[in-house]
Amino acid sequence: MSAGTEVAASTRSTATSTIYRGRSGQWAFVGHRVSGVLVFLFLLLHIVDVSLVNLDPQLYDEVHQLYGNVVLRLFEVGLLFALVFHALNGLRIVAVDFFPGAVRRERRLLGAVVFLTLAVSIPSGYVILLPFIQGTLR
Amino acid sequence: MAPARSRRSRQSFETWSWFFMRVSGLVLVFLALLHFAITHIVNDVVETDAAFVAERWDNPLWRLFDWTLLALALLHGLNGLRWSIDDYVRSPARRAWVKAVVYTTSGVLFAYGTFSIVTFT
Repeated sequence: MSAGTEVAASTRSTATSTIYRGRSGQWAFVGHRVSGVLVFLFLLLHIVDVSLVNLDPQLYDEVHQLYGNVVLRLFEVGLLFALVFHALNGLRIVAVDFFPGAVRRERRLLGAVVFLTLAVSIPSGYVILLPFIQGTLR
Repeated sequence: MAPARSRRSRQSFETWSWFFMRVSGLVLVFLALLHFAITHIVNDVVETDAAFVAERWDNPLWRLFDWTLLALALLHGLNGLRWSIDDYVRSPARRAWVKAVVYTTSGVLFAYGTFSIVTFT
């Protein structure tokens, strides 16, 4: 019973606010949506840039060199964070949907998602930025 | 009030859509992260030039890998966007317009991407 009361209290919203106060679950939902839309928009752009390889390989190479500059490298690191978070949080959603036991550990699972997102993305982001850090960027 | 049959088929579509998101999501975890790792971590992004693509697409299995990634990611993303549009675009006329633009753009880019992967020599 006490768990039910806590959920009711945490999802209460005021008359003036339309944002439901679901705490961690609500932030996971927002993060999942935002990261999903960002990755989708990049996918649309990525189809266009890769397809240049068919039309004009030289133009493909020129456009592709742009991905090596520091601004776009930072963009790629951002894409990586979004992609890894979306993938891991998606696994959490699948776990919660298919395994009843996972619902009770929902908060701890989200903690693991955030921790693993950082643990994977920070070292990988470092590798992506390495040419800039070492000053070998053309 | 919608007839019972169309209501049931709507429910069954949404059930399939929910199931598709779980299954495609699980597959995409591997496909998308592996693809990112190959093009950004194992190789530096500037090394993935036209020659790199040509060498990779010499193997039809990599073409199949890339096409599967393209198809699943687009469908998964499009379905997610459909849910978001239903949540935030409330006016029916506007919703129809936004969906028409999103579906058309995605459909054209899917055809274009497929064409690129299949016809590249």
